[in-house]
Amino acid sequence: MDRIHLSDLGTFALQLAWCLALYSIVACVYGARGAKGEFVASGRRAALAVFGCVAAAVAIMLHALITRDLQVEYVASYSSSTLPLQYTVAALWGGMAGSLLLWLFILNLSSTIVHVQNRDRHRLLMPYVTATLMTISLFFLSLLVFVVPAFRRLPFAPSEGSDLNPLLQNYWMMIHPPSLYAGYVTVSVPFAFCIAALVTGQLGDAWIRSTRRWTLFAWFFLTLGNVFGGAWAYEVLGWGGYWAWDPVENAAFMPWLVMTAFLHSVMIQEKKDMLKVWNVSLIILAFALTIFGTFLTRSGVISSVHSFTQSGLGPFFLWFLAGALAVAVGLVIWRLPLLRSQNQLESFFSREAAFLFNNLILLGICFTVFWGTIFPVISEWVRGVKITVGPPFFNRVNAPLGLSLLFLTGIGPIIAWRRATPRNLQRNFAGPLAFGFASGLALFALGMRQLAGLVSFSLCSFVTATIAFEFYRGTRARQTLVGESAVTALAHLVSKNHRRYGGYVIHLGIVLVFLGITGSSLFKEEVQATVAEGQAFSIGRYQLRFDRLTKEDSPHLSITRAEVTVLRAGQSIGVLRPEKRFYKRPGQPTTEVAIRKTLREDLYLVLGALDASSGLVTFQTFLNPLVSWLWIGGAVMMIGTAVVMTPTPAERYVRAAVQARETSAALSRAEES
Amino acid sequence: MNRNLRFVIGSMVIVATIGYLMYTGIRETSAYYLTIQEFLPKKDQYGNMPLRVAGRVQPGSIDYDAKSLHLRFHLAAFSDANRQEPSVPVSFTGILPDMFADGRDVIVEGRYTSGMLEASQVLTSCPSKYEAKTAAEAGQPAPGRQG
Repeated sequence: MDRIHLSDLGTFALQLAWCLALYSIVACVYGARGAKGEFVASGRRAALAVFGCVAAAVAIMLHALITRDLQVEYVASYSSSTLPLQYTVAALWGGMAGSLLLWLFILNLSSTIVHVQNRDRHRLLMPYVTATLMTISLFFLSLLVFVVPAFRRLPFAPSEGSDLNPLLQNYWMMIHPPSLYAGYVTVSVPFAFCIAALVTGQLGDAWIRSTRRWTLFAWFFLTLGNVFGGAWAYEVLGWGGYWAWDPVENAAFMPWLVMTAFLHSVMIQEKKDMLKVWNVSLIILAFALTIFGTFLTRSGVISSVHSFTQSGLGPFFLWFLAGALAVAVGLVIWRLPLLRSQNQLESFFSREAAFLFNNLILLGICFTVFWGTIFPVISEWVRGVKITVGPPFFNRVNAPLGLSLLFLTGIGPIIAWRRATPRNLQRNFAGPLAFGFASGLALFALGMRQLAGLVSFSLCSFVTATIAFEFYRGTRARQTLVGESAVTALAHLVSKNHRRYGGYVIHLGIVLVFLGITGSSLFKEEVQATVAEGQAFSIGRYQLRFDRLTKEDSPHLSITRAEVTVLRAGQSIGVLRPEKRFYKRPGQPTTEVAIRKTLREDLYLVLGALDASSGLVTFQTFLNPLVSWLWIGGAVMMIGTAVVMTPTPAERYVRAAVQARETSAALSRAEES
Repeated sequence: MNRNLRFVIGSMVIVATIGYLMYTGIRETSAYYLTIQEFLPKKDQYGNMPLRVAGRVQPGSIDYDAKSLHLRFHLAAFSDANRQEPSVPVSFTGILPDMFADGRDVIVEGRYTSGMLEASQVLTSCPSKYEAKTAAEAGQPAPGRQG
């Protein structure tokens, strides 16, 4: 009889999790419908046990990877005996089954936290929240148990593994997938609460307020994941850019757009009790896009740099997506009467209108990206031939939309609610608009003629002015009223209203991102030069002199490195060392880019081609102005989000009071029964 | 009612603008995506239209001058046997993509004029043991765009 291996326990853990998830769904729904608390409690415990099983499976997989158990097919496929430890861990999400396991792990970790957070609250909602989260888990568990067994063993241990793809052997592989997955998967939490709210008819603000943190958390990691993805493409792939409108990039971008819209429109529901149907629709759409995105990366339907290729999983995802949408839309239609709101939009010049236009534009961008991504599939269906649209399509359509959004970013936070009078429009906007306009004129005077650049930079100035103005006004008010110094006033201003001022910081980050995108898209320069040793070529205000080639050889890989001195006005300001590498075991060549970064521009050098016979080397060089501001903007957005997510002392007090009240209510209910 | 109407009109304006931008965007930037088997029988009707053709580098057909960076090769159908498949000549000027070699799956972006595929980009894909059989049909671009 065969030995039982640790990896077999992994298979068993997943099978057990599958049964527990199914039980949990049935128990929760049955218990909720029949008001049988003990079944709901049992279902909740089963959900916690699912997490235990999934965590065990992940631990077992990690163990197999770290101990280089090459007889496990997954380990043999994505690692090797010589793969450095950090990439061996990253191999957990390097392949199909592992990435599904990661999805499940994050989903169930979130589910456990949700259950702990809400153990005494939302008694009507929670059973359905559990059931929804367990249904999603059941889908992924079904894939892992029936379709792509994660722990399949090979008949014998191969002498060596296939290794992780060399393009994935860098620190980006450690941080980009986990952050993106964290963002993707946690969208399921507000979605689950939304479904629960629709089923139980509890359609007030409760479901939104209890998931605010999760929404922000998901948005934080979606933003981070997308920024990391762009940075990875920029530093590793060597084509001089950071975003190619690749189907899988788009798959990560679309949920971000919808979640951004959702974050804004829930503010309208909280303040004005409007847009209830809109909000439930948005979160359902966001969840659908995360499933759709997961489908895109796994089906090969649309070829992309990322696809894990055709593995036959595509149809399963589509069916699950169709089913989830059918249920969700059905619930919304059923509950339409409860979702009607009293208030209406009164004026175009109001915060409600600004937020509404913000939502429409974000969804417009999302629709454009969606349409462009699936266009080949649609055109094949309609005309029998695949037609693709490339980056120019996305850029053409999204640029005006993005700029409109930037404009609204300056308007929305400041314009009055309900109806802005001409007086307060003038008071709030005359200054910043003048500043923006003046910036545009100044740039024009300095020689800039591209309309898109002028508009974009003017809008960046405008929005920055509105944000600065808000901080200034608030600080001055505190100084006058409370008599604090400027610095103290500013600190207290922010600490008393994290949502508002954290939000301003996020908007500032967006402005910096636009700055980076505008500079690097409109004012990019590219030079291709073939030179011999000692020769130089120029780009922008730099001269680059090719000094020599050096070579390095190891059992794992061989490297050819070019040393290039960077000169400006005859003075040497640095040395760049782009490389060409050859990874021996998979037999794969890669190119390592050399970048000289400054705030003003990036000098991006690629070792293109080597001709051994003549000793000539071809370099491809890009000059990317302002691109560092993109990454800085991303960091500012992260800081702003952290501020928004941190509760102020006042909020903490209120929350504690609410929780105490609910706990004592729960206790007295328990005493009565 | 009047207010709602105004809002509806405003939204329609935004929607119409987006629709217009998308329509012109598609019209001006789209390219046909074909496998070499789909392309060859009808190649003359695709004259001078933007194309993306997926195929395989015919073994022995690579002619590359590293000084002028001028590349010529034949793009052939996917096949496992080493027989002579019908092919189309491709011409490209630029840096040779990393993975470019005999028998590799590539996607050529460009236009078909006077019997030759003038490429503006050549994208290569990685030969992976686990995807060998199915990757061929899809002709996927590699993790790493070169060219």
